[in-house]
Amino acid sequence: MAVEQLDIHLVLMMPEILVAIMAMALLLLSAWTHKGGAGVIHWLTMMTIVAVVLVIQVGSGTATTFGGQFITDDFSRYVKVVMCLGMVLPVLMSADYIRGHGMDGGEYHVVTMFAMLGGMIMASSGGFLILYLGLELMSLSLYVLAAWRRDDRCSSEAGLKYFVLGSVASGLLLYGISMVYGVTGGTGFAEVASFLGKPEGHGSQLLALGVVMILAGMGFKIAAVPFHMWAPDVYQGAPTPVTAFMSVVPKVAAIAALFRILFDVFPTYHVQWVPILQLFAVLSMAVGAFGGLVQTNIKRLLAYSSIGHVGYMLIGLVANSQAGAQGVLVYITIYLFMTVGVFGLIIAFDRQGLGENISDYQGLARKQPVMAFVMAMFMFSMAGIPPLAGFIGKFSIFMAAVKGGFIPLAVVGVLFSAVGAFYYIRVVKVMYFDQPEGEFKVTLSGGGFIVVSLSLFMIFFWGILPGDLLAWTGASVQAFH
Amino acid sequence: MMVADVIFYLFATVTVLSALGVVGARNPVHSVLFLVLAFFSTAGLFVLMGAEFLAAILVMVYMGAVAILFLFVVMMLDVDFSMLRRESVRYLPMGFVVGAVMLAELGLMMAHHPGEGLHLGLDNTDNTLAIGQALYTRFLYPFEVASLILLVALIGAVALTHRERKRVHRQDISTQLARTKEDAVELRKVASGEGA
Amino acid sequence: MSANLLILLAPLTGALVAGLLGRRIGSGLAIAATITGMLISAWLSIRVFSVVAVGDGPVIREEIFSWIVAGNFNVHFGILIDRITAIMLIVVSGISTLIHIYSIGYMADDPDEPRFFSYLSLFTFAMLALVTSDNFLQLFFGWEGVGLASYLLIGFWYKKESACNAAIKAFLVNRVGDFGFALGIFAIFMVFGTLDYDRVFQMAGAGEFKPTVDFLFFGDVDTITLICLLLFVGAMGKSAQFLLHTWLPDAMEGPTPVSALIHAATMVTAGVFMVCRASPLFELSETALGVVTVVGAVTAVFAASVGLVQNDIKKVIAYSTCSQLGYMFFSAGVSAYAASMFHLMTHAFFKALLFLSAGAVIHAMHHEQDMRRMGGLAKKIPITYGVMMLGTLALTGFPFLAGFYSKDAILESAYAAHTGLGTFAWIMGMLAAVMTTFYSFRLVFMTFHGKPADHHAYSHAHEAPWSMRGPLLVLAVGAVFAGMIGVPLVGEGWFKGAIVLGQGHDALAHAHHVPFWVKWLPFGAFVVGVYLAWLMYVRLPTLPGIVAETFRGTHRFLVNAWYFDRLYDWMFVTMAKKIGEGLWHTGDETIIDGFGVNGAAKMCTRIAGGLRWVQSGYIYHYAFAMIVGVLVLVTVYT
Repeated sequence: MAVEQLDIHLVLMMPEILVAIMAMALLLLSAWTHKGGAGVIHWLTMMTIVAVVLVIQVGSGTATTFGGQFITDDFSRYVKVVMCLGMVLPVLMSADYIRGHGMDGGEYHVVTMFAMLGGMIMASSGGFLILYLGLELMSLSLYVLAAWRRDDRCSSEAGLKYFVLGSVASGLLLYGISMVYGVTGGTGFAEVASFLGKPEGHGSQLLALGVVMILAGMGFKIAAVPFHMWAPDVYQGAPTPVTAFMSVVPKVAAIAALFRILFDVFPTYHVQWVPILQLFAVLSMAVGAFGGLVQTNIKRLLAYSSIGHVGYMLIGLVANSQAGAQGVLVYITIYLFMTVGVFGLIIAFDRQGLGENISDYQGLARKQPVMAFVMAMFMFSMAGIPPLAGFIGKFSIFMAAVKGGFIPLAVVGVLFSAVGAFYYIRVVKVMYFDQPEGEFKVTLSGGGFIVVSLSLFMIFFWGILPGDLLAWTGASVQAFH
Repeated sequence: MMVADVIFYLFATVTVLSALGVVGARNPVHSVLFLVLAFFSTAGLFVLMGAEFLAAILVMVYMGAVAILFLFVVMMLDVDFSMLRRESVRYLPMGFVVGAVMLAELGLMMAHHPGEGLHLGLDNTDNTLAIGQALYTRFLYPFEVASLILLVALIGAVALTHRERKRVHRQDISTQLARTKEDAVELRKVASGEGA
Repeated sequence: MSANLLILLAPLTGALVAGLLGRRIGSGLAIAATITGMLISAWLSIRVFSVVAVGDGPVIREEIFSWIVAGNFNVHFGILIDRITAIMLIVVSGISTLIHIYSIGYMADDPDEPRFFSYLSLFTFAMLALVTSDNFLQLFFGWEGVGLASYLLIGFWYKKESACNAAIKAFLVNRVGDFGFALGIFAIFMVFGTLDYDRVFQMAGAGEFKPTVDFLFFGDVDTITLICLLLFVGAMGKSAQFLLHTWLPDAMEGPTPVSALIHAATMVTAGVFMVCRASPLFELSETALGVVTVVGAVTAVFAASVGLVQNDIKKVIAYSTCSQLGYMFFSAGVSAYAASMFHLMTHAFFKALLFLSAGAVIHAMHHEQDMRRMGGLAKKIPITYGVMMLGTLALTGFPFLAGFYSKDAILESAYAAHTGLGTFAWIMGMLAAVMTTFYSFRLVFMTFHGKPADHHAYSHAHEAPWSMRGPLLVLAVGAVFAGMIGVPLVGEGWFKGAIVLGQGHDALAHAHHVPFWVKWLPFGAFVVGVYLAWLMYVRLPTLPGIVAETFRGTHRFLVNAWYFDRLYDWMFVTMAKKIGEGLWHTGDETIIDGFGVNGAAKMCTRIAGGLRWVQSGYIYHYAFAMIVGVLVLVTVYT
C-alpha cells in the first residue's frame, strides 16, 4: 500500500505547539518542585502566553497543513489572540485566589493551558474530526477545572454536572458529524463543502439532521438556550477564576468553530441553520434578560448575563454576512474585557472573605467610591449604555441584523437589552443607594489591579474610539463570503 | 449472503437487548455484565464488516479493561440503585414518549434516505496495517490531539483525587538522617510511684 | 483647538476636576473649577450666537475627529452650529451657569457638594454635545449622556429611598424611549446609508430613498413615517410626553437646581429640539406630524389637568413643564417649528425662574414642599415673591411678558393651520391655557397669600442668600424681556436652512393674520384662570374642599395623575416580576430545587452526605431538557 504524500508544515502550528510543549514542561516542573514551584509556574505561564501571542502575530496570510485539517488565517489568528487574553487575564488576577483556596501546585495552570489549546485547535480546525477532538480537549479540561476546589461541595457538583451534560452534548455533536460523514463520505470541511456544491448535495434530510445535531452540540458549549441549563449551576459552583475563564474562552472557541462550520461548510444550508440560530438567539436573550431579574448570587447573575450575551452574538451569526461576523468578533472581544473586569472585582471581594451575594455590595459607593464606580461602569457597559464599549458591541450586532434584513430580530434584541439593563442597574443601585452593612475594605491584588484597570480602560477606549477594533475585526472576517 | 444476514441480525438483536439490560437490570453487577455482552456482540458486528482490528480492540480494551474496571467500581462503591431507580420510574413515561418520538423521526429519516451502503474503504486482508498507516500519516494531527486529551484526563484524575495523607507512615531518608538525639529523646524526672 | 470645541470641553474639564479631585482640593476649589468652565462656555456661546444668530455669519461646520470607520459606515465627531443650535447654546450654557451659581447657596450644607457640581457640569457637557452634533449618532451619544447625568442627579440624595426609586424609574422609562430612538437611527442608516444630518436631509429632500420598508408585522410602511415615528418615541421619552411622562414628576426628588436645569429648561426640551432639527424628515410625513400634534396637544391638557390638584410645589411646576412641552410639540406638529423653538427659549427662562424661586421658598421653609403648610409668605420673602410672580405672569401669558409672545405664536399657528388636527390642538391649547393660569396662581396664592399654616416654619422663614437671589433676578429679567427680544425668531425665514418647511405648511406665516378674537382669546383664558384661582384660594378658601368633595371621582382621577403609574406598575413591573419569578420557580426551583434536598441551591448548604448527590434527579432533568430541545429542533427544522 502506497504511503500518500503528506503536507506537514509545523511552522504554521507554532502557537499550538508552543502551548502544548510549555504545558507539558510545566507539568513536569510542578511534579518535581512540588508546591514550591507554584510561583515560578505562574510567571512562566504568563510568559508563555505572551510568547504565544507574539508568535501568532508573526504569521500572515492563509495556509493549511495536514491535508487541510489545520487552517491558519487572519480569522484564526484574531480569535486565538482573544483566547490568549481570555486565559491569561483570569490567571493573572487570581494568583492569590489560587493560593488561598488550595488550588496551587501548578497543575491548575497546566490544565488551563490545555483548555485554551483545545480552543485554539477548534479555531484552526479544518475538519469535523479535529474540531471534535479540540472540543473534547477543551471540555475535558474545563470539567476538571470546574471541580478544582474538590473540598468544596458546590465545585465538585459543578464539575460533575458539567461533565455529564457535556457528554450528552458531545454525543449529539458526534451523532451529527456521523450523519454528515454518512451522507458526504468525508469529515474534512473542504471535502464536505465540495460534496455539497454538487447537485446531489442538496436537500438531503439526513444532512439537515446532521446540521441540527451539530448546532445542538455547539449550542451547549456556548450555553445557548435550550442547552443552557448547566450554566447557572456551573458558573456558581466553579472557582471564580475558572468561571471567568469559562465564560470567555469556550464561547470564543465554539463561536469560531461555528463560523467555520456555517460559513465554510454549510453556506448552502442556510435556510436550515438561520432559523435555528434565530430561535437560539431569541430564547437566549429572553432567558438571559428575565432569568437575571431575581438572582441574588452575582456569579449566577453573570451566568444569566452571559446567556443573554450569547443571544446577541448569535444575532450576528444569523445575519449571515461579513458585517454580522464582524459584529460577533467585536462583541466577543468587548465581552471578554467586561467579563474579566467584573470577575476581577468579585475575586477582590473574595479576598476579604466576602460572599458572592449581591447584598454584600450594599453601600459600596459610600465606603469605596472608586471600587463602586469601576463596578458600575462594567455594569453599564454590559447593559449596553453608551459611551461604554458594550454599546458598540450591541450596536454593531444590531446594525448587521438590520442590514441583513432581520429587523424583527434586532427589535427583539433591543427590547430584551432594555429588560436586561434592569438587573445590571440593580447592582449599581445596591452599591450606590443601599445602606452598607458591616465593615470591610476591598483591595485588589497587584495582578487584579492590572487586569481591572486594563479592562476599564478598554471599555472606555473602545466605547469612544472603536475605530481600531472595527478595523481589526473587519480585516479578520475578510476570509468569509 | 444469507448466512451473513442471519449472523448480522443475531448480533444486532443481542446488542440491543443487552443494551436494554444494562439500563434495566436490578443488580448493578448484572448491568455491567450486560455491558460486556453488548461490547462483545458489537465486536461481532465489526468482524462481520471486516474490521477485525476494531473488533479485537473492543474485546481487549473495552471488555478486558474498561468493563472490568466498572465492575470493580460498582462492587466497591455501595450505591443504592433501587433508590435511584425509584426516582427515575417517575419520569419513565415521559422519557419513553420522548424517546419513541425521537426514534420514530430518526427511523423515518433513515428510511427515506436512499441507501447505498457504506464504503469502508478498508483492504479486507490487512486493515491493521491500513489503520496504522492512516493513523500515523494522514491522521497524525488528530492522533496527537487525542493523546493530549488522555493526558488531561490523567492529570485531572490525579489532581482531583490525590491527597497528601498526613497520617500515613512514609520513608523520608533525609529526615531520617537529620534526626538527632535532641529532638528524638526526651528525659523527664518521674517521681517514683506516680509514673504511668 | 477651536473655540467652538472649547464650549463643550470647558464644562467637561470642570466636571472631571470636580469629580476626580473634588475630595482632594476641597469643595471650594471644585466649585470654582466647574463655574470657571461654565463661564468660559457661556461666554464663548454668546460670542458664537452673536456671529451666527445676531450677525449674519455662516453656519459653522467643524469635523473634530473620525469616530467610527468600518466599511461604508463612517461617523465622525463634529460640530454644527446654525441658528437652532445657537439658540440652544445660549439657553443651555447660560441657564446652566446661573444654576451653578445658584447651587452654591442651595447646596451649601451638603457634604457631597463637589460631586453635585461635577454631575451638573457633566450634564451640561452632554447637553452641549447633543445640541452641537452634526450627525444622529453623536446626537444619540449626547442623548444617552444627559440621561445618565439625569439619573445620577435625580438619585443624588441616594440615602432617600424615594430618590433612588425615582432615579431608576426615570432611567427605565427613558430606556423605552431610547429603544424607539435607537431603532429610528438604525432605520435612518438602513435607508440612507449615512447618519450625517446634511446628507440625510439632502437625500430625503431629493427623494433618494426607498419609499416603503417592511417593518415587523406591519408589512410595508412608509419609510419616512416609520423613521419619524421611531424618533418621536425617543422624543416622547426624553420630553416626558403623554404615556411616557410618568418619570418627570417623580424626578422632582432630585435637588431643586437639578429640576430647574434638567427637568425644566434643557434636557426635557431635547425632544423638541430633535424634532425641529429633523424637520426636513418630519415635513415629508403628514402622518408623523399628525401624531406629534395629537400627542403634544393631549399632553398639554393632561398635564395641566393633573397640575390643578397637586399640593407639592415642585410637582405643580413639573406637570406645568410637561404641559408646556406639549405646546412645543403640537406647534412643531403644525409645522410651526420656529414657534416651538421660540417657546422653548422663553420657557427655559421663566420655568427655570419658577423652579429656582420654588427652591428659594423650599429653602426658606426648611425643606417643606407641601403648599398646604405654607401661606402668607409674601411678607417674609418679598423678593422671592416678586420674581415668582414675574415667572408666573410670564408662564400664563400676561401681555408683553415672555410667554405672551411665544404661547400666542403657538396658539395662533395652530389656529391658522386650518386643519382638523390643528384646530383640535388649538382647542386643547386654549383649555390648557385656562388650567395653566389657574394652577399657577393657585400656587402663588397658596404659597404667598392667605394665612400662614405652619407658624413655626413661617416665623423662621428667611430670604435666600445672594448667591441664590442673583440668578433669580437675572432670570427674572429674561422672563420679562425674552419674549419681546425673541419676536424676530418667528418672523419669516429667521432660521434659514436649519428648518425646512414642506409645501403649504405655512401656519406660522398665516399666524399673524388670524382674527382679532383669536389673538385675544388667550388673554381671556388668563383672566378666567386668575379669577377662578382668586375665587377659590383667596376669596373663599373653603371652596376647593367643597369642589373636591362634590366631584370626588374626578378629583381622585386627577390626584392620581389619571392612574398611569398604577397602570404601568401593574402592566410592566408586576408582569415582568411574574415572568422572572416564573422562570425562577419553574426553571430553577421546580426543576433544580424541586428534587427535594438534592437541589443545587440547597445542595451547597444542606447536604453533608458524600455521594448522595448521585441520586439526584436534576442532571436527568437538564439532560432531558436538552433532548427535548433537540427533538423540537429535529421536528421543526428537518
